[in-house]
Amino acid sequence: MKPMPLVSLAFAVLAASALAPAAAHHSFAAVFDGSKTVTIDGTIKEFRFVNPHALATIDVADDKGAVQPWIVEFDGRLNLTNFGWTDATLKPGERVKISGNPERTGAPRIFFSKLVRADGTEVVRGGDRLNEIEEDRRLRAAQRAAPTPAK
Amino acid sequence: MWSDPPRTALDQFCFMACTDTGLKHLAGLLDDPANDAKPYEDLAREAMQHQTDDYIRPHMTEAGLASWPLDPLVDRGYLYCEPWGVVRQAFAPHQLAIKQYADHADLHYGEWDAHRTVYLDGRSLPRDQPHTPLGFSIGHYEGDTLVVETTRVTEGDGTFLVWDGRHSDQVTIVERYRRPTPQRLELTATLTDPWALREPIELKKVWRYAPDQEIGPYDSCEPAAAKPTEAKTQ
Repeated sequence: MKPMPLVSLAFAVLAASALAPAAAHHSFAAVFDGSKTVTIDGTIKEFRFVNPHALATIDVADDKGAVQPWIVEFDGRLNLTNFGWTDATLKPGERVKISGNPERTGAPRIFFSKLVRADGTEVVRGGDRLNEIEEDRRLRAAQRAAPTPAK
Repeated sequence: MWSDPPRTALDQFCFMACTDTGLKHLAGLLDDPANDAKPYEDLAREAMQHQTDDYIRPHMTEAGLASWPLDPLVDRGYLYCEPWGVVRQAFAPHQLAIKQYADHADLHYGEWDAHRTVYLDGRSLPRDQPHTPLGFSIGHYEGDTLVVETTRVTEGDGTFLVWDGRHSDQVTIVERYRRPTPQRLELTATLTDPWALREPIELKKVWRYAPDQEIGPYDSCEPAAAKPTEAKTQ
């Protein structure tokens, strides 16, 4: 398995503070192409809820039925637990569509951005953290706009 | 157990580390109605740049600037699975568990599953202590604030994003941990390094209380390259 402890950090920052320059000078850009997104449709073979990165193997069948295993790399267990993930979030045998950034070498490997289950429910990388930040901004704006009580 | 910051716009800016300069700039951007429609990412990025230009860079020596920013392709953690030194570890994202005993405290981090020992028994910083990546730490309380002094640190990498250059083995850190509310832990750290910094810098960080989280094993990292011989920073 490739070592990528810093990828999780680059993504952690993107998810939290979303500071693009950070990603530009950390290891994600050297490994994955953040400008591209690919989607695979397959069956989960294995999910490893580990540090520094969680990993899943997805069996993807082509039109002729030949199966190609793809590796999906996630944020690490450390970060995923902040979004409520457990080792049972992805179950072997489950059919999923997963989108992510492809590895630059063309290897069958992507960094996770979104998952759609068979029932249509979605799991998005970073969970609702950015939504909560935006809600905090709306509250700040509302307080700013509120009239100052007269003395 | 503590973990990543409260999910507010200002606290998330301190996900790794932050400065008063950056926080003040971000607050100004957030309070400007003209920015209400702009994505948070853009505002945080602008505040980060301001923090770098107005605070971090002016504090760095020529030697420190020469090593800044670090090249991700030669990052030691990435290439060699080399655990972080204390400067980076103290600002690590994700979980932090602090256990206090009669004569010491244990700081346990999710990143690298690392442990730091802080001696609280009144001993002095030893002059003959060998340098190690996590250094030697002593601590005491000032009111409700835990003050930790760390020296004898081997040269290494600075913090992610905020001061991501090299530091020398002369680096010292004074960390001040405070819990202003039951749900919040704050760190203010003063870092000194005559090789990398013209004068001390002050970095901050915040965690939220996360009693349901746990620290798991950090056991799936494999080195990508053989470690080369390197020149020292001084």
